Amino acid sequence: MTSQFQISLSGSDASYACDDGDTLLRAGLRHGLGLAYECNVGACGSCKFDLIEGEVDDLFPAAPGLRPKERERGKRLACQCVPRSDCTIKIRSGAEYASAVRPGRATARCTGRVAVTPDMSIFTFSTGRPAAFLAGQYAMLTVPGVGQNRAYSMSNLANPNGDWEFIIRRVPGGQVSSHLFDTLKPGDSIEIDGPYGVAYLRRDIPRRIVGIAGGSGLAPVMSIMKDSASLPTAGSTPVMLFGGRTPKDIPDVPKLLEGSAAAIEFYPVISAPEPDGSADWSGDTGFVHEFIEHRLSTPLAECEYYLAGPPPMIESVVRLLVAEHKVPASQIHFDRFF
Amino acid sequence: MAFLHLCKTDEIEPGSSLRVEPDKLPPLAVFNVDGEFFVINDTCSHGDASLCDGEIENGEVECPWHNAKFCIKSGKALTFPAVEAQKTYLTRVVDGCVGIEV
Ligand SMILES: Cc1cc2nc3c(=O)[nH]c(=O)nc-3n(C[C@H](O)[C@H](O)[C@H](O)COP(=O)(O)OP(=O)(O)OC[C@H]3O[C@@H](n4cnc5c(N)ncnc54)[C@H](O)[C@@H]3O)c2cc1C
Ligand code: FES
Ligand code: FES
Repeated sequence: MTSQFQISLSGSDASYACDDGDTLLRAGLRHGLGLAYECNVGACGSCKFDLIEGEVDDLFPAAPGLRPKERERGKRLACQCVPRSDCTIKIRSGAEYASAVRPGRATARCTGRVAVTPDMSIFTFSTGRPAAFLAGQYAMLTVPGVGQNRAYSMSNLANPNGDWEFIIRRVPGGQVSSHLFDTLKPGDSIEIDGPYGVAYLRRDIPRRIVGIAGGSGLAPVMSIMKDSASLPTAGSTPVMLFGGRTPKDIPDVPKLLEGSAAAIEFYPVISAPEPDGSADWSGDTGFVHEFIEHRLSTPLAECEYYLAGPPPMIESVVRLLVAEHKVPASQIHFDRFF
Repeated sequence: MAFLHLCKTDEIEPGSSLRVEPDKLPPLAVFNVDGEFFVINDTCSHGDASLCDGEIENGEVECPWHNAKFCIKSGKALTFPAVEAQKTYLTRVVDGCVGIEV
């Protein structure tokens, strides 16, 4: 039998039911509350809270999202805490965090896998319910036999058929990505819980869309590029920059966009030209942030930015845009792939 | 330039801070770093957090929301996700009172 605990938010009238085993953060988001968060995996620290009353289990006591000092003072991460009783918590909230699509769990059957680079593949899954999410969001995937879940961003668009598409990079020695690459077969089932994430396409903003991805950050930016086709364009073509290590790490983005109405400008950047194959490399060489200004014909402050990839890439891009080019931080949406 | 009184020196222990909200200025954070006083904007340049709720260590304050660190003396943003400096104020101590030149 599943039990439920009642979670009250200190300083407000809001309260919600948390199913047995669910985290405080996800249960609150399922209830439609705008609890502050970003990564869902214990790394960013956005979801920290004070436990005023009640008891919780911490799933990841070594999570990097909290400093040891904060732990000493009793801070905890809502994305890693599961209640053991009714609780009262004090947590930051904001309307911008409330999920437009309430996250939910579903069993998903693997329907296929196609390589896009030597270490990245598209994995497709099918659920019995419609795939509802905003372009740029992610889901938490749980594979059988691995007692942990990981965040993966959808690379397709919401659809009534229940098709979910992810672009996943094999992390050497990685628990979940290795399982997906080495053990999972078409027909096997996993659990998908989502959607989550606040770096989704802002459909009501008329500014030019700029997507910047590095490595495994490809998926959410692809989804945003595809969705851009459904927006009434103001004559400005969306731009996508993608950073990979070598020419082999650059996916065929125009091909991935086949079947979508999206028309975009695509600029690949490699950071490690190889003496052998690099002779026919016609794209840029360096780090992706170094080419943003050069590749955008529009003033930088007049664009809306969607970034996904490794934290150092995100940091370099945000630093460049905000500190050097005075782009308002509110025009930059990002997911750091911890 | 005029001297704007913010608080008394003995209101802030070394290693701590005080938030003050003067008229016509954004909320300010007054820091006592080993007996020396510094004033910077209190609202974090990254979000809406109050730096006076942050941890102070080695002349740096850590934002309570996303843990960006700022140099208390220069206002400089030292770690992500903050990338913009906090505004600093010319700070003086006169007759046991901390104030800024505005
Ligand atoms: C918002 C977001 C979106 C992402 N989207 C994508 C994507 O579209 N494609 C893609 O390839 N990758 C994506 N990632 C990265 C992905 O989630 C995994 O981190 C990556 O696949 C490595 O996982 P692994 O299990 O293979 O490696 P591992 O090395 O086994 O695990 C690494 C991750 O697991 C965390 N971790 C370690 N121990 C624990 C524990 N006890 N409890 C909880 N967490 C733990 C680590 O902090 C680290 O983040 C995304 C990450 C985030 C945060
Ligand atoms: S959302 Fe909990 S640490 Fe990032
Ligand atoms: S609000 Fe200060 S680091 Fe985010």
